[in-house]
Amino acid sequence: MSNVIIGLAVIVATILIYWGSVNVYKKFRHIYTVPIISSTLVTIVILLIFQISYETYMIGGQWIDHLLGPAVVGLAYPLYQYRDILKRMLLPVVTGTFIGAVVGITSGLLLSKWAGFSELIINSIVPKSVTTPVAMAIAETTGGAMPLAAVFVMIAGIGGVLIHPFVWHYFHLNHYIGRGVGMGSASHAIGTATSMERDDLEGSISTIAMVLSAVIVSMIAPGLTELLL
Amino acid sequence: MNKAVTIIVQFIGLYFLYWLGSAIQKVLNLFIPGSVIGLILLFVLLSFKVVSERWIQQGAGFMITHLPFFFIPATVGVISYAYIFKGKGILLIAIGMLSTMLVMGLSGVIAQMMVQKKEGSYE
Repeated sequence: MSNVIIGLAVIVATILIYWGSVNVYKKFRHIYTVPIISSTLVTIVILLIFQISYETYMIGGQWIDHLLGPAVVGLAYPLYQYRDILKRMLLPVVTGTFIGAVVGITSGLLLSKWAGFSELIINSIVPKSVTTPVAMAIAETTGGAMPLAAVFVMIAGIGGVLIHPFVWHYFHLNHYIGRGVGMGSASHAIGTATSMERDDLEGSISTIAMVLSAVIVSMIAPGLTELLL
Repeated sequence: MNKAVTIIVQFIGLYFLYWLGSAIQKVLNLFIPGSVIGLILLFVLLSFKVVSERWIQQGAGFMITHLPFFFIPATVGVISYAYIFKGKGILLIAIGMLSTMLVMGLSGVIAQMMVQKKEGSYE
């Protein structure tokens, strides 16, 4: 019975923290104030201050966790919304995203392998360029740690937004297709949000690349990992 | 109130597809996550007009808008892995950035080259 109360308290608290962080982000739009980061940090600080263990927190957390699967299914909707652009640009977008998926998995895996990190860490870094819920699902099947995978996804998202002006300059990305595919393939939803703010077309290409990348990486990551590890 | 009911009903539809995707994964013994199989199923059903856009619009829209909320508990889990980023672990951030740069640059360049070639051929 007390578990139900703890569970409900966690859910209510998480809703409040999320709601607060969304409002802060609306007021102070900045890459470091994206809601997922501030919500996570605030939650961690609260757990530490009140000495609540992660296990206790997850009594309620697992209920929220449970909704991730259907949320991923919902990503089919934006892909369908942009089906006309997808059809027109099918080959460039699919090829670019596919190359991005291979490059992301291979470079993440080999670099961390050469640096001598454990398989748990390597398997968590492999799916970093796709949206968090899918990256966590992939890490689960390949033997990574889901929370670590989420951290690497954040590094790819925030890192990508920070370095994109340099990448565009040095790789001569001046077309909205190249920019959109690059942002969506490398920096998932965080990159897509940045693209959306600049240009609708670039944003829609980025959305397509983000969803395609999630599908492609989940298909090829387990095989490539086995091959290269 | 009406909107909340619509979102909940549509959410149940998404949940059903997730369940179906997970069942397919288990039966066929696939390594693709059940949620991604559900995503592909929904896209196919929408494309063939078996499922109308209106049936999922609000539910999917709501879930995607608030997607970060659903993975807060998972990211909080990093609390158990903080030790990994101590010392040599800092290198992982550099690796993540370098790999992200390569993904962005190469995927973008390939897509852009293919488009410009295509657009050029019409001239």
